Amino acid sequence: MIWQIDIMILTLIVICGLFAISVKDLLGAAVVFGAYSFLMCLLWTEMGAVDVAFTEAAVGAGVSTVLFFAAVHRSSRQVKARVSGAMLYKGLGLLASGLMGGVLFYASTDFPDWADPASPASSHLSPHFITQTIAETSVPNIVTSVLADYRGFDTMFETAVVLTAGLAVLIILRLGGCRTAGPIREKNAAIQAAYKDSIIRFVTRMVVPFMQLFALYVVAHGHHSPGGGFQGGVILGASFILLAISYDLKMALNRINEKAALLLANTGVLIYGGIGFLCLLLGANFLDYSILHRILPATDEIAARSHAMLGVEIGVALTVMVIVMIIYNNIVSNGSYEKGL
Amino acid sequence: MELLLAKYNYWIYALIMMIGLYGMLAKNNLIKKIIGMGIFQTGIIVFYVSTGAKRGGTIPIIEHGHGEEVHEVIKALDYVNPLPHVLMLTAIVVSVGTLGVALAIALRIYTEYNTLHEDEILERVND
Repeated sequence: MIWQIDIMILTLIVICGLFAISVKDLLGAAVVFGAYSFLMCLLWTEMGAVDVAFTEAAVGAGVSTVLFFAAVHRSSRQVKARVSGAMLYKGLGLLASGLMGGVLFYASTDFPDWADPASPASSHLSPHFITQTIAETSVPNIVTSVLADYRGFDTMFETAVVLTAGLAVLIILRLGGCRTAGPIREKNAAIQAAYKDSIIRFVTRMVVPFMQLFALYVVAHGHHSPGGGFQGGVILGASFILLAISYDLKMALNRINEKAALLLANTGVLIYGGIGFLCLLLGANFLDYSILHRILPATDEIAARSHAMLGVEIGVALTVMVIVMIIYNNIVSNGSYEKGL
Repeated sequence: MELLLAKYNYWIYALIMMIGLYGMLAKNNLIKKIIGMGIFQTGIIVFYVSTGAKRGGTIPIIEHGHGEEVHEVIKALDYVNPLPHVLMLTAIVVSVGTLGVALAIALRIYTEYNTLHEDEILERVND
């Protein structure tokens, strides 16, 4: 909590945001948006939100930027202004955002001071989680214990939302589309030929195993350090995206094809829901992990909660990994799975 | 100066949301609109994480919590509020899902109408 750094990063964020909106080239806008996400990641670290920073680094600065590149590669990168009525749209946009901004600025006078330890948000529910997490769940990372245990029901449906998003992309591009890759322009073909680069491929081959090992560590060690199922899953998915970019889409699809991918995505949600249902079968509430000590060997009620959290994190990681891959594969090939970036 | 320090984060989150809303409303290009949506989302996340910050607090991982037992008494004032972090962590992951769906819809529109610009799409829809 160093306010000088806070103010510096926030100012840079506003500049990057303005640039991302106003740059006249979509590829440039995607790059600036990636830089914007990275600055956000620094801001979260500065405010002590290390888990959020980790997620932002993996999702916002990593996968989102790649998705923008893939979409721009499949469409066009030029930005044209409106032929008529540009001033009208600009005026209405400025008016609406000015109104909203005015209301928000006015409301900010009622907020508690920034970083005030006695603010209402920090004084009602969260002290319980902070002081009791070790006693009740033996998990030192409070974010993980709240995510997977205290608010486990919510996280289960977040995972289901991610699955639904992947299925929606499949329906829109792969099933509903005409499944044509579209003509690849000459320039792109030239770029693709240039990227059959042995250095890039060699480095990728060296890096990917370590990436996946690190992702497994992030999933398994999420109880004790920043990380967890969401971050580890995104890093695993990103390792396959790296393979697909540096080799080609076929190579990545040979590793995990569409059928296996969908099976894994559903298995992830099933693991999460299944652990919850197991608690129900043993006579406790849905997702009340403490009852699982009856079937887990050598655990008491507290350790059972910690172990069950690892189980649901694995489920989350499976779903997120596969869905990130499905979204990338479909967007980069326009649903045809023929030719990638 | 006091006021600036106390409210700076809240002013900037309002500014970020204004940039995002302007991008969504006024821009002609669909990808630019999606970038505006992303900026709007991060504005909300800035707000939530700002409410969780605590002067003198460290990251929400209990110190010496890895061994058999914790010797010191855990005080809530020593750790930043983890609740907004949990909410926003899942929000960021869901945002990549919504981004994927939005880009997929934009690509479908591109294959159908061969343009990403709003005025040209409207022209071709009406034809």
